[in-house]
Amino acid sequence: MNIILLGMNHRSAPLELRERLTIACGDHARTVAEVKTIPPVKESLYLATCNRVEVLAAVDNPDSAMDRLRWFVFSHGNLSVAEMEACLYRYRNEEAVRHLFRVACSLDSMVIGEPQILGQVKDAYRHSVENKATGVMLNRLLHHAFHVAKRVRTETGISANAVSVGYTAVALSKKIVGDLTDKSVLLVGAGEMAELAAKHLVKQGVERITVVNRTVEKARELAAVFQGEAAGFEDLPRCLARADIIITSTGSPGYIIDRDMLTSALRRRRNRLIFLVDIAVPRDIDPRAGDLDNVFLYNIDDLQSVVDENIKTRLEEVQKAEGIIDEELEKFMKWRATLEVVPTIVELKDKAESIVRHELLRSEGWLSRLDEEDRKKVEALINAVVNKILHKPVTGLKDVSENGGGEAYVAAARRLFGLEEEEDR
Amino acid sequence: MESILFKAALALYLVSAVGFVASLLTRRVFLARLSTWCYGFTFVLHTSFILWRWTASGYSPVVNLFEALSFVAWGLTGTYLIFQLVTKTRVLGAFVSPLALVLFIAASAGITGAGETDASVKNYWVAVHAVFSLTGNALFALACCAALMYLVQDRLIRKRKIHDLYRVLPSLGDLDRINHISVIWGFSLLTVGIVAGSLWARVVWGSHLLWDAKQIATLGSWILCALLVHQRVAIGWKGKRAAYLSIGAFAVLFFSFLGVHLFFPTIHRF
Repeated sequence: MNIILLGMNHRSAPLELRERLTIACGDHARTVAEVKTIPPVKESLYLATCNRVEVLAAVDNPDSAMDRLRWFVFSHGNLSVAEMEACLYRYRNEEAVRHLFRVACSLDSMVIGEPQILGQVKDAYRHSVENKATGVMLNRLLHHAFHVAKRVRTETGISANAVSVGYTAVALSKKIVGDLTDKSVLLVGAGEMAELAAKHLVKQGVERITVVNRTVEKARELAAVFQGEAAGFEDLPRCLARADIIITSTGSPGYIIDRDMLTSALRRRRNRLIFLVDIAVPRDIDPRAGDLDNVFLYNIDDLQSVVDENIKTRLEEVQKAEGIIDEELEKFMKWRATLEVVPTIVELKDKAESIVRHELLRSEGWLSRLDEEDRKKVEALINAVVNKILHKPVTGLKDVSENGGGEAYVAAARRLFGLEEEEDR
Repeated sequence: MESILFKAALALYLVSAVGFVASLLTRRVFLARLSTWCYGFTFVLHTSFILWRWTASGYSPVVNLFEALSFVAWGLTGTYLIFQLVTKTRVLGAFVSPLALVLFIAASAGITGAGETDASVKNYWVAVHAVFSLTGNALFALACCAALMYLVQDRLIRKRKIHDLYRVLPSLGDLDRINHISVIWGFSLLTVGIVAGSLWARVVWGSHLLWDAKQIATLGSWILCALLVHQRVAIGWKGKRAAYLSIGAFAVLFFSFLGVHLFFPTIHRF
């Protein structure tokens, strides 16, 4: 059985094409069911996310399966042949497995190391299982892919660091004020960036959000999103004293929060730590405020430089991850090779047995003149000869398949022992 | 039996310290988890060792310097494990367990075998005095570890060095909390220990204060600790300043615990 994979991702195809294809394919169940009706396809998996549309299949005849799957994409995606040829990537066996592993490990993602993709692959697999579209090959392959992804996640730092400004701010908050669940956040300015950062923090379970804005109405609007409080600028000193994390993003040309305000806020909150994130340009917070003890001030450039650094480390980790994938790929291909050999050996033994049975039947005439004991001896003799003859080919097949390149031997054995004719019959 | 318990505890101290440090260097949570369990088991062994000695000798388990060192290691381990249960800061183990190991190795120099004792130490006041003072010392040692980690982490965040070490160190909030709790408890225990000691001195020598070198050093460090607690609780000192002060307090305390012997005559055995 062969493994093939074809699809398009964010690099190979523009969003518009991926969109068209995803919509035309419909939900998982429908696509899996449709792909299953293509004759050479024995097992299949359909993976559709915002960055990729892919079909993975275990097939008997890879050439015809590939053609038919291309036709499937062609007819569903409503694409021109040129478009399709340019956007679609096609992989077979080792390359298909490697691609799947890289996808599951998030090496093929737009943001390398992002954690969602593994969950999406798992979902796709679950859908396939529910639709009875998986068998020996894909079951083994997908579980192997999950195993590889786990290894890569734990053994490399590929998803260790935040690679967006919002997550970086959250990660820093955790390292400064500690557990976020009982902390309060103050948003100064009701801009989009502040909202985004606040969303991240809410997901981490911060207790209270207060929004301060020049126009209180706007502050109320944003506060309503997080069930927080709203206040005007005149309340800023009071709010400063209560907040553990402060995010500023106003359009003000000058500083809104200066050193003195923070000094008195610290006094009021008995020096509990404050983390200030100034994402406004021009800046909202006097940079000298960052020199105060128990105050930590990061501006947008600081955050960005942390992000850049993290991306750099992620890219360094990719090499390590590729190494793990190579290793696991080899393991999987080894397993697949034995899978090919086993049915051949079984068939070989079956064939020998049926020949023996057939010949015994033909000689029934003179065999029946022997007494029971002699008859058994003759049968044992024949079986022993057959087993001795088959012994070498069988162990030989097992050996070569374990050392790779087994397929050629399997093909030869099938031809020499006439197993192919039986398949055709 | 006693020496078997001691040797087993020593071996496990070594294993846990190596495990904790290795987990810090390789950043494997699994190793840290394993080391924590190992450290917990070490604590159990050490506890049984102390109890065994206590029941065998029939008087206070801390009457000489080596026993005192072992006891500080025990207190340090115990308090760390409690913090570990509450705050999940395993990385602290990489700082605490080597310290406990060093103390325990120092203790191993003379702990086995019954030491000679005189009547004055076979008294419950002595036990209270030694146990409380030493646990207080252990808590200040823990506070000092947390303070050092705090200063490192504070510096990393201020310098925008958001890399490897930053990632393994706990949050500033947690470190400050550990420091705060250790200082307050350490101070309370130390106070009880000192009071018990002076009461006993009154019984044996007829005076609370003998102007012994150790007493003077201890009083000095007690005042420093009191200042630290005052600044923390009443003034609301947090973070860096509290960290510096608690490192200073521990340094003075440690000197009065070990250093005084080297330079001045004293009636204290340790």
